[in-house]
Amino acid sequence: MTSIDTATRHDSTSGLSETCRSGLEHLLSACADTKLLLGYHYGEWTFGTPEIEAAVASCSLSQAELGHVRLLHAVLKRHYDADPDALMSDREAGAFANVAFLDRDIAHWADFVAMNLVVDLAVTRVLDSLRGSSFKPIHMSVEKMLDEERYHAHHGFGWFRALARRNDETRTAIEASLNRALASVIEWFGPADDAEDRALIEAGIRRTSGADTLSALIDDLSGPARELGVTLKADRDRRFDGWDPATRRCTPGAPDEQILYHLRGSKNAVFKVK
Amino acid sequence: MTEGRIYEVFARKSHQEELRHVGSLNATDDELAKAYAWTMYDEENWIEMCTVPRTAIIPVTDHGTLPLWGN
Repeated sequence: MTSIDTATRHDSTSGLSETCRSGLEHLLSACADTKLLLGYHYGEWTFGTPEIEAAVASCSLSQAELGHVRLLHAVLKRHYDADPDALMSDREAGAFANVAFLDRDIAHWADFVAMNLVVDLAVTRVLDSLRGSSFKPIHMSVEKMLDEERYHAHHGFGWFRALARRNDETRTAIEASLNRALASVIEWFGPADDAEDRALIEAGIRRTSGADTLSALIDDLSGPARELGVTLKADRDRRFDGWDPATRRCTPGAPDEQILYHLRGSKNAVFKVK
Repeated sequence: MTEGRIYEVFARKSHQEELRHVGSLNATDDELAKAYAWTMYDEENWIEMCTVPRTAIIPVTDHGTLPLWGN
């Protein structure tokens, strides 16, 4: 872990190198896009949960994620001249930088728990790496988001234990879902030697590199997995040929058009207040 | 429904207030109970919230019956 030099603080992106500036934009956009899709899927799962408490929790998690999207979009608007409406509505699907696990409908409860535990926690780990950042505009937002994310993690770990302990069928299902989510998250973190990531560390914007942040996430998951007899497969040696820092993917991909149609409110665009 | 147990939830809005009972919930373990308590009873800006398994509560009166002298 790198300690951040508090002497050099940035109120805006003007003092940052071009690599650092684009790296920060890509990182914040990737967090916002993943949270947007998390918010959508949590919202969808207000119905269909195994128990009523989980339905209420899912709805609450959705509200929190959408609130975080607004915070991140506000930073992107102020410092990158991004239009939040355009980020939501006018982008090509292929421009989204979300974790690919969220591209399709979340098929069943084991996938939901994997999304909650692995994907949500991955973004939280990235936000944690921005704590005490030399880029001042994200200070307050990061602390607020991390405070709320504690309960998302409790929900994910609680359900992980419940499914892993219930019976062989549920343990097998959660193991498969966790490993698919983890593979997707590993791609999203990208290669260890990414130039933008290095620039963010050197400028004190991130406390820990992407690779170290991913290691911390895997550590978070490994202890409970071992205790529960669940095998985690984290392929850290995979290749990242063609990895694009703007979309955080090795090959082109995008959220499902139907999901974006609902998420953007396209059906009701005529009622939008200008 | 998963196998769970009942938890009681207590909270207060300021240090001057006593903790008061705000509701109950079902959860399979303490960690899930924390998440459920926070998401189900979020109607106020609580400064403190805690939850306890109902089985940990020691009954003082016979549960569900009025004492002979009434109350």
